[in-house]
Amino acid sequence: MDEKLTEASSKDNYRQEPRVGVYVCHCGGNISDIIDVKAVAAALAKYPGVTVAREYAFMCSSNGQDLIAEDIKNLGVNRTVVAACSPSLHELTFRNVLQRAGVNPYLHEHINIREQASWVHKADHDGATAKAIKLAQAGVEKVLRKDALNAIRVAAEPRVAVIGGGAAGMRAALSAAGKGLEAVILEKGPRLGGKLLELGKMYPSGEEGPAAAKKLEDLVLAEPKITVHTGAEIDFVSGFVGNFVINFKKPDGNMAQVKAGALIMATGYEHYKPYKGEFGYGEDANVVTLPEFIGLLKNAPAGRLEYGGREIKSLAMIHCVGSRQVEGVHKPQADGKVNDYCSRVCCTAALHTANQLKDKYPGVRVYDIYRDIRTYGMKHEEYYDKASRDNVLFIRHNEADQPAVTSDRSGHTVKVKDVLTWGEELELKADLLVLVTGLMPADISLIKSQLKLPSSADRFLQEVHPKLRPVELANSGIFVAGTAQYPMDVTEAMASAGTAAAKAGILLAEPDIPLEPFVAVVDEHKCTGCGLCPPECSYDGALTMGEKNGKKIAVVNPALCKGCGACVAVCPERAIDVAGWTLDQFDAMVDAIAKE
Amino acid sequence: MKVNPELIDEIKKYGAFDISACFNCGNCTAVCPLAKEDISFPRKLIRAGHIGLEEKLFSGAEPWHCYYCGECSATCPREAQPGEYMMALRRYQIAKYDITGLSKIFYQNGWLQTCLALGLLGAFYWLYSAYTGDFGALAGKIELAFPVYVTVALGGYLLNMYRHNIVKPLGGIKLSFKPAHIWETFLHGFTQKNFLGCEETDWWRWVSHLLVMTGYTLTLVISNLHLLEPLNKHYGFFSPASLLVWYAGLAIIVGGGSMSLRRMFKSAESSKFSHPSDWLFVVTMFLIGASMLATQYVNVTQGPESALLNGLYRFNIAVETVWILLIVPFTKWIHIFFRPLAVYFQHVKKEAEAGTAFSLSLGK
Repeated sequence: MDEKLTEASSKDNYRQEPRVGVYVCHCGGNISDIIDVKAVAAALAKYPGVTVAREYAFMCSSNGQDLIAEDIKNLGVNRTVVAACSPSLHELTFRNVLQRAGVNPYLHEHINIREQASWVHKADHDGATAKAIKLAQAGVEKVLRKDALNAIRVAAEPRVAVIGGGAAGMRAALSAAGKGLEAVILEKGPRLGGKLLELGKMYPSGEEGPAAAKKLEDLVLAEPKITVHTGAEIDFVSGFVGNFVINFKKPDGNMAQVKAGALIMATGYEHYKPYKGEFGYGEDANVVTLPEFIGLLKNAPAGRLEYGGREIKSLAMIHCVGSRQVEGVHKPQADGKVNDYCSRVCCTAALHTANQLKDKYPGVRVYDIYRDIRTYGMKHEEYYDKASRDNVLFIRHNEADQPAVTSDRSGHTVKVKDVLTWGEELELKADLLVLVTGLMPADISLIKSQLKLPSSADRFLQEVHPKLRPVELANSGIFVAGTAQYPMDVTEAMASAGTAAAKAGILLAEPDIPLEPFVAVVDEHKCTGCGLCPPECSYDGALTMGEKNGKKIAVVNPALCKGCGACVAVCPERAIDVAGWTLDQFDAMVDAIAKE
Repeated sequence: MKVNPELIDEIKKYGAFDISACFNCGNCTAVCPLAKEDISFPRKLIRAGHIGLEEKLFSGAEPWHCYYCGECSATCPREAQPGEYMMALRRYQIAKYDITGLSKIFYQNGWLQTCLALGLLGAFYWLYSAYTGDFGALAGKIELAFPVYVTVALGGYLLNMYRHNIVKPLGGIKLSFKPAHIWETFLHGFTQKNFLGCEETDWWRWVSHLLVMTGYTLTLVISNLHLLEPLNKHYGFFSPASLLVWYAGLAIIVGGGSMSLRRMFKSAESSKFSHPSDWLFVVTMFLIGASMLATQYVNVTQGPESALLNGLYRFNIAVETVWILLIVPFTKWIHIFFRPLAVYFQHVKKEAEAGTAFSLSLGK
């Protein structure tokens, strides 16, 4: 929310006699083709408390906005109702109009007669018009009862805490520092770098993982605004936007504390670990995971590929191990669910590895057993192209027809029904099996439960909206960077970390953070201190029982309250209201709609 | 089925395709106007090549249903040259069915066959020129020996093709005697009827082929029946034998000439890649037509006593000898039989599936 908007209204509009302006929008025909907008404006003009009612083609256009501003100036309008599209689209537009004209922006009511009337009653023009009139009248009743509100401001620690010191964590800290913010990295491992340290040559640049880690680490350590705590074991995280507190144990056993205005979760991933016996893993020595194979390839001398003292002349890669699992086909994970998501990066990583293998050992026969090849990135298709031209043999199976592996001294025999060979069962021999394992989120259950962080069905941290708010968690002030959110490659993790840092930078740009004023407000006189409401509250610490003037009452922490109204619903005394959405306002709206 | 990815390296020796680029999209089969549900190519055969299903590759008649219109190669998003792959498969099958094993050697070492052909041509011409007896009578004997040799040389191919296409997969001798099937087999053999099914029919290619085919068949009849005795008789310009020669010779020269030009200028998908054996085939046929035509022309204009005629006739017989010994049994000549037989076998397979084929079980 825009803090300028809340610098607001020194004018005490609500003490003045209410003069309501009603504006009915045509929405370029979206509304006016169905609803008789002139009739709506005419009906509202006669409604008690309404000073002026108008209709216009596009209220959101600058001409439409000027109409309102002039009425405020010339007719003394001090509250507005706009009957138009969805409030999520343009409520803020009209609040800004009031703001600029010197009226408290919260003395505005946005009525949706597009989605709620014209679009859904296309066959009934008269009915839609009557409904629009009722809705607009209810809007007038509500706006008449509105109070001028001001944004809540919370003083913020001018510091970002980044949990996790891998690629995303280091990038986020560097970006935040670049914006002039202090950043603290808390890394549980003994050094910075995370999973980068395990990687071999990375696509698309061909740079070695550890070298990239070193570059980032050097930058981080040279940056005076960044403090690094490695070997940090997080013990307790609490607080709210602007005021988070992280208690952690240092490698020497002493406890320490970091205070931060924003948190960036860069907690990363773990490789899927095949269970014992999955395609022979853990039972047969010549079954390895792709990360293990990358490690092997990194150190293997040129000329002859060996593993466990034996020459490897052929190897089979099996994709989607631990990813895109199917209930009834795959063994569920510890929480009883299968990993039904695609781990995204493994196809490209596998082909990239196969190509390196073919470059180094052209004679090694490579089979690639897959369900779908998803080399989704920019130019990543070229890895498939190269592999196929290097005679990597691709074999494709259905989800239900998993490859069957039998192993003996002479190697592995893989039997797989190949979709491309009209469903025939193919049999091939391989000296080494490489399981292309997927990614799972790192175990951060402690932090998740302490901060009540939202997870997706796939157990990764979940953003508010994948397109509109891609790095923000529902908890204000907490952002996600990198693979803590979903499987991504280093390039994507870096981009996401930069975004998270930018978002944190915007949040902490000023010493205090403006929050929406729509929070619960307790009427001290009516509250009996019965204690029914705190158990209903979904946000830790937002609503607690306290004392005022020797009386036990419910106390709201406006920084934590989300204005959901759960407490309002249980209060037997009508002692709690959500500002801007009070029970009296709703009563009046219902009366207006129900009136004959 | 056991995977044998090494097989493709062998097939690659038979043609200039790049099926390792193939990602199995199936566009080739989708655009192919000749592929049908029960005769599906090229994708399935490419896949069989990828994984090395040898049996599928030489026991299927699909390659002979393809007329290389080139739609698939033009459409292939990976430029894998599926049309050329089909061509390679035809060569591969010929090599596989050849009981002598010479086709394989010649296909994989194209220039060997060419050098051998040139050498033999020179040797036979020298030999025939050195013959002091009645060459007309000798030529008669040579020409009458041709059909016997050809039958023996080609019998092996046909038996092998029948064995791999019908006997092995269907478990016995199966035949169809339905007149419609036999008629269609001959019709396809003579007219390349299926080729007209190609979407944008390359009429000139079809006409060229028809000219070459009819001209060549006539030549076959003329020589095998020893209809010409240019050293003993003086033919008139419009005598029946001359008319046959004019047509046969000109048809081969015009048709074969146009085919050679297309190969030279690579004007169509089908003529982009030329195997040495393709050139050998076309050039030798061209020489047969030209030398026969010239012999007859000299006979008509100068009479049988002409010294030029003597030389030309010996050259003509020498070319025919090389053709019969070296080209007919070991190059794509055999496609004359394979293409119509592929049509026939398809009928037999359907009849066998329906249980209405003439059947003779082997073993069990």
